[in-house]
Amino acid sequence: MAKFVTIGERLSTTAPAVNKAFTTRDPEPILKRAKQQLDAGAVYLDVNIGPAESDGEELMKWAVQLLQSELDNVPLALDTSNKKAIEAGISVYNRSKGKPIVNSADAAGRIENIDLAAANDAIVIALCNGEGIAKDNDERMGYCQLLLERGLEHGMEAEDLWFDPLFLVVKGMQDKQMDILECIKMFSDMGLNSTGGLSNNSNGMPKHIRPIMDSALVAMAMMQGLTSAIVNPNDLRLMETIKSCDVFKNNTLYADSYLEI
Amino acid sequence: MALKGLDIFKLSPKKNCKECGSPTCMAFSMKVAQGAVELSKCPYFAPEALAKLSAATEPPMKTIKVGAGDAEMSLGGETVLFRHEKTFVSKTRYAMALCTCMDDATVEQKLADIAKVDYERIGERMFVEMVYVNDAPDGAQDYVELVKKAAATGRVLVLGVKDAEKAKAALEVCKDGKPILNGADAANYEAMNAVATAAGVVLGVSGADLAEIHDTVEKLEALGNKNLVIDVTGETVKDTFKNAVQLRKAALKDGDRTCGYPSIVNVAKVARGDAHKQAALLSLFTMKYGSIVVAENIGYAEALPLYGLRQNLFTDPQKPMKVEPGIYPLNGADENSVCLTTVDFALTYFLVSGELERSGVPVNLIINDAGGLSVLTSWAAGKFSSGTIAKFFEEQDIAGKIKSRKLIIPGKVAVLKGELEAKLPDWEIIIAPNEAVQLVKFMKDFA
Amino acid sequence: MPFTPKSGKFNASINTVEIGTGDKAVKIGGENVFPLYSFDAPIENAPKVGIEITDFGMEHELECIKKYYEGCTTLAEIAAKAASMEGVDFLSFRMEGGDPNGANKSTEELIGELKEIAAAVDLPLVVCGCKNAEKDAELFNAAAAALEGKNAVILSAKEENYKTVGAAAGLAYKQVVGAESAVDINLAKQLNVLLSQLGVDKKSIVMNVGTAAAGYGFEYVISTMDRVKAAALQQGDVNLQMPIITPVASETWGVKEAMSSEADSPEWGSQEERGIDMEIETAMAVIAAGSNAVILKHPESIKTISGLMKELV
Repeated sequence: MAKFVTIGERLSTTAPAVNKAFTTRDPEPILKRAKQQLDAGAVYLDVNIGPAESDGEELMKWAVQLLQSELDNVPLALDTSNKKAIEAGISVYNRSKGKPIVNSADAAGRIENIDLAAANDAIVIALCNGEGIAKDNDERMGYCQLLLERGLEHGMEAEDLWFDPLFLVVKGMQDKQMDILECIKMFSDMGLNSTGGLSNNSNGMPKHIRPIMDSALVAMAMMQGLTSAIVNPNDLRLMETIKSCDVFKNNTLYADSYLEI
Repeated sequence: MALKGLDIFKLSPKKNCKECGSPTCMAFSMKVAQGAVELSKCPYFAPEALAKLSAATEPPMKTIKVGAGDAEMSLGGETVLFRHEKTFVSKTRYAMALCTCMDDATVEQKLADIAKVDYERIGERMFVEMVYVNDAPDGAQDYVELVKKAAATGRVLVLGVKDAEKAKAALEVCKDGKPILNGADAANYEAMNAVATAAGVVLGVSGADLAEIHDTVEKLEALGNKNLVIDVTGETVKDTFKNAVQLRKAALKDGDRTCGYPSIVNVAKVARGDAHKQAALLSLFTMKYGSIVVAENIGYAEALPLYGLRQNLFTDPQKPMKVEPGIYPLNGADENSVCLTTVDFALTYFLVSGELERSGVPVNLIINDAGGLSVLTSWAAGKFSSGTIAKFFEEQDIAGKIKSRKLIIPGKVAVLKGELEAKLPDWEIIIAPNEAVQLVKFMKDFA
Repeated sequence: MPFTPKSGKFNASINTVEIGTGDKAVKIGGENVFPLYSFDAPIENAPKVGIEITDFGMEHELECIKKYYEGCTTLAEIAAKAASMEGVDFLSFRMEGGDPNGANKSTEELIGELKEIAAAVDLPLVVCGCKNAEKDAELFNAAAAALEGKNAVILSAKEENYKTVGAAAGLAYKQVVGAESAVDINLAKQLNVLLSQLGVDKKSIVMNVGTAAAGYGFEYVISTMDRVKAAALQQGDVNLQMPIITPVASETWGVKEAMSSEADSPEWGSQEERGIDMEIETAMAVIAAGSNAVILKHPESIKTISGLMKELV
């Protein structure tokens, strides 16, 4: 089995400092955050430029080229609702360290992002929802099938569709948590890859609790077969848990210094 | 090979009609993959899809049986490319080559040589299990006569003959021994298939390259013959290695059932006249996917490392290799020689006996029944304790068989000294060094 | 359906490590396929073959080795003769006599001999120790200094002495550092991590992951090497992408099959042939499992393996 793929989530326009740097095209804060995440063990970096309706194409190109030229062609997830911006980003993307990830498609309004990924030989994060959150796993798997068929029809390899069950917040949806974990198992039984915004589970919890909840969930989810997650790599406890789970799953060979590498 | 839900889904009708009771075709595929539902619950699977799926559940590599009676052996049936992934199941078999191109004296010499290597190693008889009888186009020997002589060795035969009439005649004299008829190729496969099938023997397929072989195997399968082996020998060593690896990889990794047959590698052909090169190739094709390897000669020099390698390679990683418990007198030891005891884990035995032999000091090596575990592991498991050693000494009547009362125990279980002295009061207990490599010096000093 | 072999090429590759300097320098590693699978992708550097001599010269050698060195009286002459044998890519000098429990030769004496040898040959050099970790640390420290600029392989640093050996060989004198573990894949990886953390360039590390003679627990050797290559190539584990160099002769010439005389084992036939085949078959097996270089002793074994590598790759 391949190692768990962490996608660092900290280059997001929702963070004011990042937003400002994107707007003013200021490389320094972007590179600093990127480097921090890579040093902490992130494999991919998510580049969330927001809707960027006016200058998305130019901004995404700028960000991709900046990050890849400065950071040894780091592999990236291109995260925006602006399709043209994603295509523009891919047009300047260097694949030597991994295919670009299109973040994201769903089974409703954003299903065409699957076609976009297929046309550009990219990976796509496929959210298993339609209009609103799926009510149960039958519905989730229905979306999963729809998205998978769409990808296969457009010539994608199944392994390039990373299915996202959509992690739910514990505070408010505690009774649905096991559904999500079962859904991951179903993806895994199908031989499909999966990912998701894992930390959503701990939204609204005290700051010191979140790493504990996130770590517990990632361990359970990896047991179920989760192959990737969008995470905050600066969460040391979480990253240590992922590395340890990779050892148990025989995804990586143990050495006494495994946490340091 | 277990099918993933995805493989089934790809072939499913994708109608989501729910007639099977599942909400979607994907959910249905998943349940089929888990074995929870029969595929037949779906009325819409296309017949081609069904055929493909049932083929995919067959084992990736066939197990082919050759030889009769005590000489019967299994070839193939492997499921992994590397032993640590699970285990290899059918060990490589070795054949010496006879040829119609040899003169009478050489034939007689070879027949005598075939019988030469015959010994036991950790409970396994090591000998040349097969004879390859080659029909050279301009050979002077009569093929059927040569086959008769080969059959008299009692070894399983591989008939390397392309002429269907000759093959038929040869099989008349040896088919009861369940030989392999290694003679089919793109040109003669129909005739050869008829001969092999009539005689009830395994058919070997060869060709210019794997593509041609693959083609011929498909045709033979279409004729209903799946009792095959594939001769992967090419023009060069490099081609032969490529064929052997690609065939096995295609069968086990890529699920190409047409490649899922045992292989014959004829190193006598690609390294003719070079005994050392053949020794290297015997080793290479034992490691990499030869089911039968044919060499011009297998004497003790070739055999000793080769059979050891094979025994190691085909050990089940889950099961430790054990040697027979008992007394092993080394360096001409007799009843008055000192005793040294250790466990029956094969690796321990080899290391310890090797070093003891190097010391040249006569010693009775007493191997305990310790479940095939190493010294510390068996000690921790209670299988190599003062109690088990004392009991073993009693069961084997060591004191009756040996007059010496000096017993050397492994340094790693020095803690046993006191208890052993209590349980074996007549014996002087001596502690050896921790590591086997230190034994030579220790034994020399001791003597 | 026609036969369509799938390529077994990986995105990751084994590091290329150059040893020696000048025209005679050799490269090992670099492949992005399983051992010898040149049909999956070209293998630029075929496995290399070294010849082993020790500080005892011909003193402890069997007659079948001695006969190749007739007329050689000094270590320098022996080294030059060894280097001239067909198929030899590099020379390995084993400082066997350094063992405090054996001849216990002084470091000065052994390094003096090493210098003589280094002056006598222009082949890449591999320096092996006496198996005593403490003495080896001292010997390798001095050897690394004595061979400065030769880009030699110091074989090797172990768990017990990696700091000293790594610092001297890897950092101070820029030699290639061997990392030795005994069929323990977790330790093999750990040593590479530790050496890298010390500051040794990953591209200047080679591994000796342990070996045995065929038949002597060799399944552990096979599985260790299989798993190292799988981790390096399939999982892209940068801490196991170092090429493997395996001293074969020192194992195979010590087992019964090679040592037992014709008088003691008449049914076994020629002792020389037994020794050669034990060496050849073990070498071929460790190469098939993933060794990028082997160290052998008998000229006939070296010729055979070296020739075969040129044919196979």
